[in-house]
Order: sequence, then C-alpha cells, then structure tokens
Amino acid sequence: MDILGRHNVTVSGKGERFMMFAHGFGCDRNMWRFVAPAFEETHRIVLFDHVGCGRSDSSLYDPVRHSSLQGYADDVVAIGRALGLEEAIFVGHSVSAMIGILAARTAPGMFGKLVLIGPSPCYINDGDYRGGFERSDIDELMTFMDSNFLGWSAALTPQIMGNPDRPELAEELNNSFCRADPDIAKSFARVTFLSDNRSDLEGVAIPALILQCSEDLIAPDSVGAYVHERLAGSALVRLRATGHCPNLSAPEETVEAIREWI
Amino acid sequence: MADLLPGFDDETLYEDAPCGYLATLPDGTVLRVNRTLLRWTGYDSDELCGTRFQDRLTLAGRIYHETHFAPLLRMQGSISEVALDFVCKNGERLPTLVNTVQRTDEEGRPVVNLTTVFDARDRRRYEQELLAARDVARTAALELQRLNSELEQRVAAAVEERLTAEDALRQSQKMEAIGQLTGGVAHDFNNLLTLVIGGLDLIGRQIPSQPPGPGTERIRRARDAAMEGARRAAKLTQHLLAFARRQPLEPRLLEVNRLIREISDMLRRTLGEQVELETVLGAGLWDVEADPVQLENAMLNLGVNARDAMPAGGKLTIETHNSSLDDSYVAGVPEGLAAGQYVMIAVSDTGCGMDLETQQKVFEPFFTTKEVGKGTGLGLSQVYGFVRQSGGHVRIYSEPGVGTNVKIYLPRARPGIEAEPERRVEPAAMSGDEKILVVEDHEDLRHYIVGILTDLGYEVVATADGPSAIETIAKRPDLDLLLTDVVLPGGMNGRQIATEALRLRPGLKILFMTGYTHNAIVHDGRLDPGVALISKPFTYDQLGAKVRSELDGLPGHRRT
Repeated sequence: MDILGRHNVTVSGKGERFMMFAHGFGCDRNMWRFVAPAFEETHRIVLFDHVGCGRSDSSLYDPVRHSSLQGYADDVVAIGRALGLEEAIFVGHSVSAMIGILAARTAPGMFGKLVLIGPSPCYINDGDYRGGFERSDIDELMTFMDSNFLGWSAALTPQIMGNPDRPELAEELNNSFCRADPDIAKSFARVTFLSDNRSDLEGVAIPALILQCSEDLIAPDSVGAYVHERLAGSALVRLRATGHCPNLSAPEETVEAIREWI
Repeated sequence: MADLLPGFDDETLYEDAPCGYLATLPDGTVLRVNRTLLRWTGYDSDELCGTRFQDRLTLAGRIYHETHFAPLLRMQGSISEVALDFVCKNGERLPTLVNTVQRTDEEGRPVVNLTTVFDARDRRRYEQELLAARDVARTAALELQRLNSELEQRVAAAVEERLTAEDALRQSQKMEAIGQLTGGVAHDFNNLLTLVIGGLDLIGRQIPSQPPGPGTERIRRARDAAMEGARRAAKLTQHLLAFARRQPLEPRLLEVNRLIREISDMLRRTLGEQVELETVLGAGLWDVEADPVQLENAMLNLGVNARDAMPAGGKLTIETHNSSLDDSYVAGVPEGLAAGQYVMIAVSDTGCGMDLETQQKVFEPFFTTKEVGKGTGLGLSQVYGFVRQSGGHVRIYSEPGVGTNVKIYLPRARPGIEAEPERRVEPAAMSGDEKILVVEDHEDLRHYIVGILTDLGYEVVATADGPSAIETIAKRPDLDLLLTDVVLPGGMNGRQIATEALRLRPGLKILFMTGYTHNAIVHDGRLDPGVALISKPFTYDQLGAKVRSELDGLPGHRRT
C-alpha cells in the first residue's frame, strides 16, 4: 500500500486549489464531516488519518520518529508530496494546527495558507506563558486514558477485530468513530500535551487564520492571542462557539469564518 | 401500570432510580438532574442547573470530554460507557460510567443530550487492579525477556570460551603429535648418522697411512666435506629433538643475567649495526636450573628472528625479572604449567610483527616465514621445546606493524642445588685396557662401537639385549664398565640392565648411550643425577673421551 492508502487519504471536490484537513488528538478524519463538504464546490478536498487513528496503517508508527510532532508533520509532507500539493490551504484542528506549521516550515511552497483551529504551541504553563496545564495534569490524563482504553479500544476492539467469522462486529462497536490504536493514542497524547513548539512560530511567512473558540479548555484565549502575536501576518477570529471543537459544535460558523478569510 | 407500583409515580422512578440522570444542552449546560446523582455528588439541584456538567469533572475528565466525548457524541449521536470522574461537592472523586444520547431537530441540529450516570467505583477499582496486574505482567514479561537474552548471551559466552579452550587444546595436541613424530624420526636419524660419522671418522684415520698424492688428497677433501655435512645433519636432528623435548638436557644452576651478559657481544654481532640491543636485567634475579647451552641457543634463535623481522633496523630489548605465575594464569596454559615462581626473560623487537594465524604456527618445526633457504623453521621450535622440557613456558605477543614480544618463563631453581662446574674432558689419553661390556641391538652400530673401543686398547664383550648382557655380567666378574643403549628389545631396557648389573656387581661403572631420552633413564627430560650418558651420534673421539672419563671417575659425576 502506498503512503496515501496507509493514511486513508481521499481526494474529492472540484476546483483548482487543494484544501487539506488535518484532525486533532482524539479523533479521525470523520470530524470534518460537517465542514469539509462545504468547500467541495470550490476546492479539492484532502482528508486523511494520522498514524494510529481511524483507518490508518498502524505499522507506519515509529516510536522514535513519532516521539515529536515533527514526525507527524513529516507524514503530512509525505502525503502532500504524493499529491503534488503546491500553495494548498491547510486546515488543522487542535494539535494539527501546530503540525501544519511544522509541515509548512519543512516543505516551503507546499502550503500557501494555514487555517489554525484552536492552536497551541505549548500546553504547559512556563513562567509568564500560560499554556493552561501543569505537568501533573498531563500525567493524570495519561492514567485516566487507561480507564477508557481498558473499557473499549484495548479490551474490546482487539478481541472483536480478531474474530474473522464476524467482521461486522467491529463495525457495530460502540464509539466506532475515532477509533484509535490505544498505545499510539497514548503516545500521541503525551507528544501533544508535552510539546513545546513556541520557537517554531517565528519566521513563518505564510498567511494564517487563527480560529479561537470561547471557553476553550484545551487552547484558552491567552494561547490564541500568543500565537497571533508571534505568527507574522496572522488573523485572529473569535468564534461564538464554545469548547474545543467548533467544527463539530458550530460547523456553520466555522465554515463561514474560513470561507470569508480564504 | 402505575397501579402495580403504589407510591412509585414516574417522578419517583426518575428521581430515585439507581442511576443518575442528566439532561443537558448540546454545550453541556445542565437542564435537569435527578436526586440520585445529587445524592452521590452532594450538590443541590440549583448548584448544578445552569452550569456545564463537564465543569464538574476532574481536569483529565474535562480534557477527555473535549477531545473525545463531545466530538464522538456529535458524530455518532450517542456514546456508551465512557469513564468519567465527577468531583463531588466535598472534593471527593466519584468514578462513573456515562451513556449519552443526543436528540436533534428535524434538520439534524443537536437539541438536547440525555445522560445516564452509573456508579463505577467498584468497577473502576477492579479496572485499577487489572491495570496494575497488566503492569506486573508486562514487567514480568520484560524481565523474562531480559533473562532470556542474558541467558543467551551467557550460553554464547560459554560456548565461545569452550571453543577457545578447545582450540588451545587442539593446538597443544598438534604440537605434541608433531613432537612425537619429529622425535621418532630424529632418533632413527641419529642412529644412521652415528654410522655415517663413524665411517667417515674411520676413513679419516686411514688417510695418513695412504700413499700421498692427488688421489688421496681428493679422498681427504671428500671425506672432510662429507663429515661437515654429517655434522650439520646432526645439529639439525639436535634441533628436532629439542623441539620434541627429547634432547638430553644437562641442566645446572644458572644465573640468567650472567649468561645474557656473556652472550650479548655475540648477539650484537648477530643483530648487526642496524639493530640496537638494550638489556634491562632485573636485580636480585633468582637462579634457574636449565641447560646453559640450550638457553644460549634459544636467545640466539630469538635474536636472529628479531633481526629478520627488522630489515630496516630497530631495537631489540631483553628484559629479565622475577615473576610469580598464579593459578589463574596457569589455568590458561593448555599444555599445562605448575603455578609458582619463575624467572622471566622477555625478548622484544620493533619489527614487522605477525598476525594471529602466524603466531599459532611459529613454534611448529619447519614453519618459517622466511624465504626458502633462509631459515630452517626450527629456531622457535628449539625455544619452545627447550623451555617446555625445562618445565617452563613460552608466550608470544605480537602486533602486525608494531613488533613481537616473546616471554620465556623458566622455573626458579629448587633450593639446595649447587652449581656444577663446567665439565671438561681432556681427550688426551683415551686409550686403556679395561674390560667393557657393550649392549647395543643395532648390529652395525654395535660393530662400530666395538671397533672404536678395541682400537683404543680396551677388551670388549658385546651383546644385543638385556638377558644375554646379564648372563655375561654374571660370568665375567672382571668387567669394569657397562656401556648400554637405553631402548632395547628382549624385555629389558638399559635402566633395568643397569639395576640388575649393580645388584650383581656393586660399583660397576655404567655409561648409557641414547639417540633420545624419552625413556626410563631420564626424569622430565633431565639426566638423572648419578648416571652418565653419551648422545648419539658420537664421534670416535667423543666416545673415547667419555669412556675414559667414566672409567677414571672424573670429578663432576655425582654418585648417589
């Protein structure tokens, strides 16, 4: 299977310009189901799953390479190269906002515009910088994730997946959206929440749109403002939508903000 | 239906159900909560309604809600058995399992979320135990894996060690086998050389009585050349015997430093001007018990090899010092070595060195790296044989391109042994009229020996084996000397003949002849104190002188 198959990449829609949507931690490409179709008339839509998520090929996972966000950014670049992307629009949610910035730095010319939904270059408080979390919070999250993975992914999925006589069971699974390889998901969580890519914001000359939700626990207002300040040529739009996933909770508002900007 | 449950109206069933109920807006704002959940969490209804339910979760739960719970609910319309921890009013944590369905309007927009909350304290405790057990199992598996790989490594190391030991053993067995072979060949060769040298000797003696002239002169030259060739052949067999540890050694108390000082001039000449000789002789060096002539040969052989390894010049260093070899050192010597005190002589050069394969072969006879005709391949064999026969040990260290270092370890002399003065036999008066019994099974050799002794004036009786020799001794009480070969057919060897002879005739003088000494007469390859021995091949003069000195009982012969 080629790189596109292994990342469950699909390309749809009309138009000249490519628009690549990258999901964040906790989900897969399904999270764009209310937003991406809105651009199919005008753009060629690229959807994909990060390694360990959705229907990606988990064997792509490399504990060393994927121990930093750059590894995930390199995956994005590989997909972009396979599709021959030039001056494409990158839409990244949550951690994928930073992954997009790293990918744009890695492959100049591949992306001409960045849409960053709930970006955070660093989740942990550091001196004057308020990322929103303490290190101990993240450790607690790791332990907590075990409780849920024990409940479904880890305990149930492999057994049912391993029952070749009844393949439909896997599809009937509860919470079958956002399937994830539990070990990779935990590693992704650690890499995400312990990352510090503040210095990578400097010197990015690509126009960027920052969509900042209200009352976003994961990426609070102060972080959005920080990114806006450091990212030269960026625009900041505050959404009425609350929470961390406006693409799901307020797709119309999200689509409108993106469309207006691009 | 309600009639069947008196006192339990719908309200009561909702409020007091054994699980918590929550109705919330899509953003999590609580619209209604039942009494069970209020009881569990300790909040009043007013405190919860109007706030977002996710704000009542632990921080990890809130992150999880944002990244997993809310997106999943929106995409699937429902979510099952998600583990979330509530924070109660008193600060305690309530582990729960949450199921939620999302109701949407006709256009698919979410309107309300309906949630049941189950007390999962027991289940969570059980899960924690499972997780702990999984961690224990993982740790155990890792430990097992580590032990396995360690075991593999240990087995590999043991096999490696075993292979090395077997290699060393094979090497020493090979050396032993070659020793047996060369020793045997050299022994037979010595018998033949004795005849050749004897014949040439006789011719030489006859020449003066021939009429002078060119013909006679040609015979003399041919005889001299043949004699020289035979002597060189004898020397070669001597080297072979040395390697085979079959040469008769004449060990005596020796100061190694003095010997090295005495031969250093000769060594310098051997090494030539290109090679600098340095000697670093240890103070207070112990004496050794060794054959000085053989040690000299060994040093010269090493010197010659070092010179040839340094064609462009270099430095040869001879060092000596006392050394104690412990059990762990001797355990690494496959051919066997006793732990104890040794004198070490190290000969180091700055020459071309040699690789490991060469190092393993250098002590083998006829192995040479020199051009054909330039070396016999017996130099290091002599060193090896002599040192081993002397109860010592040779070790070679070499680095290609850096140099070679040969260390000789000779055992420290046993206390109480006195230095023997050099034994010099004056060949002046070899003749005599004593009565001698010759025991030699080799017929030609016997004739040769009898011829020499008769020529010198002795009265000679000869036999070919032990029983007839004993018979003769019994019959002839006037015998002065028994001259016997060591290895004999007929059931008795030379030593047994000597023992029996001494029983019959105490005081009878005895002289042994041998091509090699691997037999009962010699202990550890050394002459038994109190026995006299002449090595084959010998010349007319050598035999005459030895017999005369034995009959005269010259000093230096310790009798026990």
